[in-house]
Amino acid sequence: MADLTRAPALSPALPTALPTRAELRRAAPAAVSAVAMAVMVAVCASLQPDVLTVPGLSLVLSATVPLVIAAQAQMTLMSVGDIDLGIGAFVGLVTVIAATSLVSSPVTGALILLGLVAAYTVLGVLVHLRRVPSLIATLGASFVWMGLGLSVLPTPGGTTPAWLAAFGAWQPAGFPAPLLPILLVAALVYLLACRSGAGVRMRALGSNPVALQRAGLSPLAARAVAYTATGALGVLSGLVLASQTGGGDVSSASSYTLMTVAAVILGGGSFRGGAAVPWGVAIGGVTLGLVSVVLSLLDVPTALQSAVQGVIVLAVLAGRVVVGKVLR
Amino acid sequence: MHLDNIPPREARRRGPDGAPVVTASGVTKTYGRTRALTGVDLEVRAGEVLGLVGHNGAGKSTLMRVLAGLESCDEGRVTVRGRHAAPGAAAFRGVRMAYQETSLCPDLTVAENIWLSSRHCLPRLRRRRAAGAAARRRLDEMFPGHGVSPRDRVEDLTLARRQMVEIARASLVDALDLLILDEPTESLGPDAARSLYDHVRSLTARGVAVLLISHRIGEVLSVADRVAVLRDGAVIAERPAAGLGEHDVLTLMGAQVAERDAHRPAPSAGLPADRPVVAELRGATGSGLRDVSVRVGAGEVVGLAGLAGQGQQDVLERLWRPARRDAKVRATRAYVPGDRQRSGVLPLWSVAENLVVTAMRGIARRGLRRPAEEREVVRSWVERLAIRGGADAAMTELSGGNQQKVIVARAFASSADLVLLDDPFRGVDVHTKTGLYRLIREEAARGRSVVWYSSENAEMAHCDRVYVLRAGRVVAELSGDEISEERIIAVSFAEPDPPTAAGRAQGAPGRERPQEARNHG
Repeated sequence: MADLTRAPALSPALPTALPTRAELRRAAPAAVSAVAMAVMVAVCASLQPDVLTVPGLSLVLSATVPLVIAAQAQMTLMSVGDIDLGIGAFVGLVTVIAATSLVSSPVTGALILLGLVAAYTVLGVLVHLRRVPSLIATLGASFVWMGLGLSVLPTPGGTTPAWLAAFGAWQPAGFPAPLLPILLVAALVYLLACRSGAGVRMRALGSNPVALQRAGLSPLAARAVAYTATGALGVLSGLVLASQTGGGDVSSASSYTLMTVAAVILGGGSFRGGAAVPWGVAIGGVTLGLVSVVLSLLDVPTALQSAVQGVIVLAVLAGRVVVGKVLR
Repeated sequence: MHLDNIPPREARRRGPDGAPVVTASGVTKTYGRTRALTGVDLEVRAGEVLGLVGHNGAGKSTLMRVLAGLESCDEGRVTVRGRHAAPGAAAFRGVRMAYQETSLCPDLTVAENIWLSSRHCLPRLRRRRAAGAAARRRLDEMFPGHGVSPRDRVEDLTLARRQMVEIARASLVDALDLLILDEPTESLGPDAARSLYDHVRSLTARGVAVLLISHRIGEVLSVADRVAVLRDGAVIAERPAAGLGEHDVLTLMGAQVAERDAHRPAPSAGLPADRPVVAELRGATGSGLRDVSVRVGAGEVVGLAGLAGQGQQDVLERLWRPARRDAKVRATRAYVPGDRQRSGVLPLWSVAENLVVTAMRGIARRGLRRPAEEREVVRSWVERLAIRGGADAAMTELSGGNQQKVIVARAFASSADLVLLDDPFRGVDVHTKTGLYRLIREEAARGRSVVWYSSENAEMAHCDRVYVLRAGRVVAELSGDEISEERIIAVSFAEPDPPTAAGRAQGAPGRERPQEARNHG
């Protein structure tokens, strides 16, 4: 063992301070998103100078928090090469649980939420063992989440537990409150997906499952871990969303499903699997969330907002492609 | 040969042979109808390098997978250090294999890849650093001046560096019993190859067994202590490498050893003058090819032979998409892919639809399909090739051989003048093959041209002319009676011309060499 880990006598490849071309290329998508984000903040500030104050930033950013967390969930699944088309309904179901069971009996509510995480684990195991495409499995699951949510709370409503409402209303001086959960969750996902052994296995599964198997590791376990993490992040996203809306609505997050995919792609992830980009996803998610703020500040008619939002996303993606080509 | 500075073989010899590390006795393995291994007895002993040679389809890769504990054998047994071991057993932990196609995750860094495969002998704490340090140290030992940093992602590395990382990955384990190297020098330069074999010698000096698979026979002979020759799924000879010449090995492999320069490709020889040329490559270079000239006449069956992956598929690709100026193709083309599951079959369609999809446009009139004519074409082909299940069967209901018939019929049912075959008869039963060979000859007699890459040299007997490729070059052009399995094996293993070899040896400057490599023996 000591034999393997003894420090190298000579190291020809000295770590350099400057990033290599390959590293630049990988960071490019997130950088393009960051530029887009900065532009949007600047546009907001020029229209409404209050945006640059702490309460203003809190207001602008708060809507993006659940989206960013859900995007981290999506990224975790995409790092193993799968995709989650049920995340929107799942987040909606969590808000329903938070507005009903979690209020009436906190213990039952917590157990139900744990059960939902476990359901994601089971989903991952099924996807792996039955070789169902994750696309189909998660799409099917989305109808289950939707149905469960509707049967618990047919119409939007309910109240959130006091502690959750307090978290939603928390306004610290000095820094915008929404930054805290965004950075905290990104750091957490970074530790899991980029620094831990489990993360290496997950990315290996997305990158080359044969190599993972030849190394004597179980692809099933890696997939189960990824799905569990996705479920946990989905629950977190739902709780944050409920804290902001103050109630439960199973369809409140239905737009998340595709928005999260877009956020991952904006942040530098890929459908191929193998890459984990938590910081990029945080930037991509905030960028996406800011688009609608900018559009409402610009007085774009609500009916047109989706179309304009799509065009902006396409423009950022095109920028990503161009930068990628330049750096190749 | 670029291993010239290894001490002479006699000096390396140890006295008594070591204890057997991995032993295979009477091992057989069958995939469907193909008998990959037909009873292999092989013993790899501690402290020796065993060279394993054999031609395409001799069973090398299957044998390796069985010896490495990745696959079970049908009959016979594999023992590791004298104990019977099932695949995946802990006994196989010390048996490590460096794969030719590498077994690395492209999206992960070098250190992460090393951690994945060697994690049980790395400390739990600070494992990233430990894995990186281990990777760097082993790479420094094996390939001084490798230029790989543990933080590099594998996808950003060159092919040669990936191969280095793969070999280092395989050798990084606390107790290495057997190291299997599968074509390790295929993408390495001469310098790296030499330092790898230096390291291999130092490993064997410490009692590790090494199994070396390579089609560079000269290399095997200069590194190995013993050489085992695999042919038709069995070890037909096991000889000490000392005193064995390249020609002896080739003869054992079934080659008819011809004089070195018996047949050089002459640019215009072979193609009968009265045949018009339908397709031609003139000095094609780049993307795997080096100065390849190929001519295909009307009504001719031209074979592309040699070891797998020496540029044959690139020739087909150039003929299929003649985008560059060096390719001239004056014929409509059809392509029969080798990997039928991935790029041949349309699994949801019926046999008839699969068969007629290419011909459909030729049959249609003004863009509208003509079902009656299509049915007629399908019926005639189903009859001609005796496709089981008939025209309406679902494609996935068919056996592999019958699926292959449909794929081949698809190409010939079209009006294409030039049909490109990309090793399409792998894993197809003999009966079907015979029918398809006849079909190819019949269609050629009607004036169609066929370019046929096959990894089975026996199939080349059905060709009018055969180009043998090696490392992206045409090394021989055989025609008529010259085409025989023995000749093809002989030319496809022939070492490059002496000037080239000398150039490679000179290109490798002398370096500081590891202590063990100089002193052991």
